[in-house]
Amino acid sequence: MHNTAISINGLNKYYGVFQALKDVSLDVADGETVVICGPSGSGKSTLIRCMNGLESYTDGTLEVLGHTVGDDTKELDRVRKRVGMVFQSFNLFPHLTILENCVLPQVRSQGRDRTAATVEAIDQLKKMQVDIHAEKFPDQLSGGQQQRVALARALCLKPDIMLFDEPTSALDPEMISEVLEVMQELAREKMTIVCVTHEMGFAKSVADRVILMASGQVVEEGTPDQMFNDPQHEITKEFMKVVSG
Amino acid sequence: MTEVIGAPMRATGPVAWARRHFFATWYDAIFSVILGALIIWSFNALISWAFLDAIWTVENKDQCDHGAGACWAVIQDRGRLILFGLYPYEEQWRSTLACLIVIVTMVLSCLPSFWSIRRIPILWTVGFGLFILLMRGGFAGLPLVRSEQWGGLSLTLFIFCGVFILGMPLAVLLALGRRSSLPVIAKGTGLFIDLFRSLPLLTILFAAAVVVPLLVPEQIQGSKLSRVIIAFAVFFAAYQAEIIRAGMQSTSQGQEEAAVALGMPYWSLVMDILLPQAFRNTLPSTINQAVITFKETSIVTIIGFFEVMASGNAAIGSGEWGNQYVEVYVFLALIYFVFVFGLSRYGSWLETRMRLGHA
Repeated sequence: MHNTAISINGLNKYYGVFQALKDVSLDVADGETVVICGPSGSGKSTLIRCMNGLESYTDGTLEVLGHTVGDDTKELDRVRKRVGMVFQSFNLFPHLTILENCVLPQVRSQGRDRTAATVEAIDQLKKMQVDIHAEKFPDQLSGGQQQRVALARALCLKPDIMLFDEPTSALDPEMISEVLEVMQELAREKMTIVCVTHEMGFAKSVADRVILMASGQVVEEGTPDQMFNDPQHEITKEFMKVVSG
Repeated sequence: MTEVIGAPMRATGPVAWARRHFFATWYDAIFSVILGALIIWSFNALISWAFLDAIWTVENKDQCDHGAGACWAVIQDRGRLILFGLYPYEEQWRSTLACLIVIVTMVLSCLPSFWSIRRIPILWTVGFGLFILLMRGGFAGLPLVRSEQWGGLSLTLFIFCGVFILGMPLAVLLALGRRSSLPVIAKGTGLFIDLFRSLPLLTILFAAAVVVPLLVPEQIQGSKLSRVIIAFAVFFAAYQAEIIRAGMQSTSQGQEEAAVALGMPYWSLVMDILLPQAFRNTLPSTINQAVITFKETSIVTIIGFFEVMASGNAAIGSGEWGNQYVEVYVFLALIYFVFVFGLSRYGSWLETRMRLGHA
């Protein structure tokens, strides 16, 4: 058992001369739900994408579940097998049915046999209340349904950590709540969650900690209560004013 | 009360339809009449030539030169030459059977239920293997027929399928190579592709047939036909690789990221996610490339192979049937048409099917 699920120390990332992450340090404990927010271009997506190696970083250290996320591809594989991710644009495989979207990764990434994978897939789809669509193709589903399938697909692999990169930003307003509800459920089950989002309602209801980033730096962090009601930093005050309308 | 104004009344029925589409203005009317007359006249002429005035059998070739229509007797007399080329007469049933086998294989591999990494290679190994065994013979009492004697339609199909079987996997490898993150591989495959695309097919085939034997030791030269097919396949692959690469680039970055984030290995990312989508995205261009390749097989005539086109030329070249060249070319055109039209119909069927979401 690791008490620290994710441990980030002095992380820097440059795109050419532009510095996307500036000396970011952050620890996420097992079972904790951390919400990262901040204005666009603040580096929050870059940071979460570093956590499973979708982005590389220039220097610093990044450990996930005791594995170093870096150039070592074997270590990276171990991390990816235990860390699920949900994207803003769902990224379901459009040429596969909903069921196959959930079965194939289990077979290919964990070597499960098809029958067991199918049972697991249907189970997860049921939990996300999209099992009636199992035989359909992704483009036949609404955005909210697709995102719940994407979550089911990730959960089929029994991850220890879930990363959410703006999971509701591409959704129509009336579909946001159906995705947030299943995420809240997951947080209550003590899944370790890192979520980049603008949905402050989600942060207030289930986050253990809220982190505000701006210009590639962690500006302020604290419990939702501290961050919403008693922000210390000017940028945080400004941001909270904007997002709470 | 608001007055309800309906849409303007539109006259219906065939007369109104014709008026709207063909006789809307005076110049529309003139063009319609002239073109209509031309179409009717040529259709009429074609039917009379091909069927009504045509001669189907003759006792003596001179009869042909006096008829007003086509003389299809030439096909009866020389059909075997056109279809089988120089393949030994008594063994031509093997060539027929081989053709049927390879056509069945082609049709089967067009069915979506056969599209799997396991089924397609098995199907083609069996189908193509049987084709070669039958054509070549040399076992179980079947006399050996060397590939130099192969000809006609079976040779055309053999070259087309051979080019496709070798070229397609090579095209995939080249496309992947060009996307490689290693600059040496990416630049190297890029250079290879551009080199073969910038050379004329004829030059490449000539080099394979004539120049390679001068440079390469005899033991590893292989037959002339196999060299030509390999060279043709490389040429095909250079074009097809660019089509596949475009297809992979048009799948969103997110697809690759999702697969990577799910921990799927590279081969699975390529075989399960990128390639199926790349082929779907580029289906029209791939079918187009297949059609071009099928028609370009006739170029091997130049290096001394009697595929169906060359056999057709031979059928009229002997002089006896020299006046019936139109009939022979029409017959050849029909053969090409059946295959190429089949391919394009298949392509549009697939496209519709995919738009509906099933694939």
